Amino acid sequence: MKPEDRIEISIEELSLSYNVRKSKREGGNSTFLALQDINLQVREGEFLSLVGPSGCGKSTLLYVLAGLNKKTSGCVRVCGEEINGPSLHTGIIMQAYALFPWRTIQKNVEFGLEIKRTPKAERAKIAAGLIELVGLSDFAGSYPYELSGGMKQRIAIARALAYDPDVLLMDEPFAAVDEQTKNLLHEELLRIWGKTNKTIIFVTHSIEEAIFLSDRVAVMTPNPGTIKAVIDIDIDRPRAGEVKSSQEFSKYRSRIWQLLQNSAEMTDDVKTETVRHMLETRPQEAII
Amino acid sequence: MIYKVFKKSVVIAVLLVLWLIVPNFVHSMFLPPLGTVLKAGGGLAASGELWMHVCTSLKIAFAGLMISTVIAIPLGIILGWFKTVEDYIDPVFQVVRNTSILAMLPVFLLVLGIGDASKYAIITWATLPPTLINTIQGVKNADPVLIRSAKSMSIGNIGLFAKVIIPSAMPFILAGFRLSAGISLIVLVGAEMLGARYGLGFMIFNYMHAYMIPNMYVGILSLAIIGMIVNSLLVMLENYLTRWREKGVGVGA
Ligand SMILES: Nc1ncnc2c1ncn2[C@@H]1O[C@H](COP(=O)(O)OP(=O)(O)O)[C@@H](O)[C@H]1O
Ligand SMILES: [Mg+2]
Repeated sequence: MKPEDRIEISIEELSLSYNVRKSKREGGNSTFLALQDINLQVREGEFLSLVGPSGCGKSTLLYVLAGLNKKTSGCVRVCGEEINGPSLHTGIIMQAYALFPWRTIQKNVEFGLEIKRTPKAERAKIAAGLIELVGLSDFAGSYPYELSGGMKQRIAIARALAYDPDVLLMDEPFAAVDEQTKNLLHEELLRIWGKTNKTIIFVTHSIEEAIFLSDRVAVMTPNPGTIKAVIDIDIDRPRAGEVKSSQEFSKYRSRIWQLLQNSAEMTDDVKTETVRHMLETRPQEAII
Repeated sequence: MIYKVFKKSVVIAVLLVLWLIVPNFVHSMFLPPLGTVLKAGGGLAASGELWMHVCTSLKIAFAGLMISTVIAIPLGIILGWFKTVEDYIDPVFQVVRNTSILAMLPVFLLVLGIGDASKYAIITWATLPPTLINTIQGVKNADPVLIRSAKSMSIGNIGLFAKVIIPSAMPFILAGFRLSAGISLIVLVGAEMLGARYGLGFMIFNYMHAYMIPNMYVGILSLAIIGMIVNSLLVMLENYLTRWREKGVGVGA
């Protein structure tokens, strides 16, 4: 990190435990430590990925930054302001697209601007510009059900950009799209990033995706969720798809793989506890 | 398209033709041929009598329905959002829902008399549950991901209801409203049969007592036609207001 870089996000000693409601028979209510002692600084305009296995707390951390999750202790600042609730500094893009099905694409992108009480004409102009930026002008009047998964995610990005947040938070945004579309979306995301100069925190469980996109990759491990290491990715930009088969790329890949592997050597007790908790809170993901 | 219209209308057309022809051979006092009924209908329409009954009925049904809707939607939104409140109220719904509305008719008539007041009241009473229950379901069904997404953009509480909760409950609310509209006519006719001086229910019952059977069928047929028209108009409204939904993905009432 160069000294002249401005720090956009600063996380110090962040911990978070969820309250877990249980019946009396199961021992009553308890807490589950999802994040422990997280420390992370992100520079303005940086592209940082969080990688880690399902259930290690990536979404939890992202939602803290979005102001949607209450931290238990520690200090989290975005743009110098301590977070306590959602703010227009951050825009979040979720895995499930989360477009409003009853709004046209244009109106979806205008959503945040409506909340911000931007005048109507200006709203329309900003939205149209962003829809063009993600290359979907022809669909401005369509409803979300008429779009493919990849297109929906591009609109979700446009919507998050509309009210001009400083930080984009992306929660496994491309997990549900096919490989080819994903590659296109990667290029597109990097292009948009270059154009808008946003700080991006990108959550993924794909090591390749993280390396390809990021300036730095933070490796997270579960139980409790911690950041095990942060790795600088010194691959020149612009990066083309071929870079994935380069030697330096595979060096990063095996390094991160190693870090994740070591942490997988949990004691059986801990493992059982994690799986049990995940089955209770998110059965659809715990199967993996 | 043409095939669809054909499929929907062919059986009804056959039944109407049967009604037109068969009673001419199998004479029955209680089922005059369709031709006779239509002729009687022409007479009643020309004299303005039919029109008066229809208007009276529609006016009361519509007013009662509006009163219940104005109560049901806001109440449903509140009950759907505060789930604990609903837990307390739900048993009451179950009792109300499983008690025949017609059984309650005499109570309303006793308390409010046989004037219009009792009819407004019974229709409001009868049409409240479908819209209310559907509104509650719709609000409860609002996608938590969408709520989170809206919240991440710093939406206030009023905005959250106006821009997320209510639009996402809309298909449910509309389906409930259509159900209520159907019930309003059914119950109104029942109420008019028991005590009224105007209205289609009165007309049907009155002509039955007077043994003017074709006139009685005019009333029944008018009700059927009104019911169909109201239902199709509401289906059209529903389709328009929920045009953002993928075709063929319906919401149960
Ligand atoms: N609302 C919640 N209540 C209790 N536990 C939760 C809740 N949300 C997530 N968890 C648990 O916290 C852990 C981290 O979840 P999450 O942040 O979603 O992981 P990831 O995004 O890395 O897959 C998981 O074990 C999950 O089961
Ligand atoms: Mg997640």
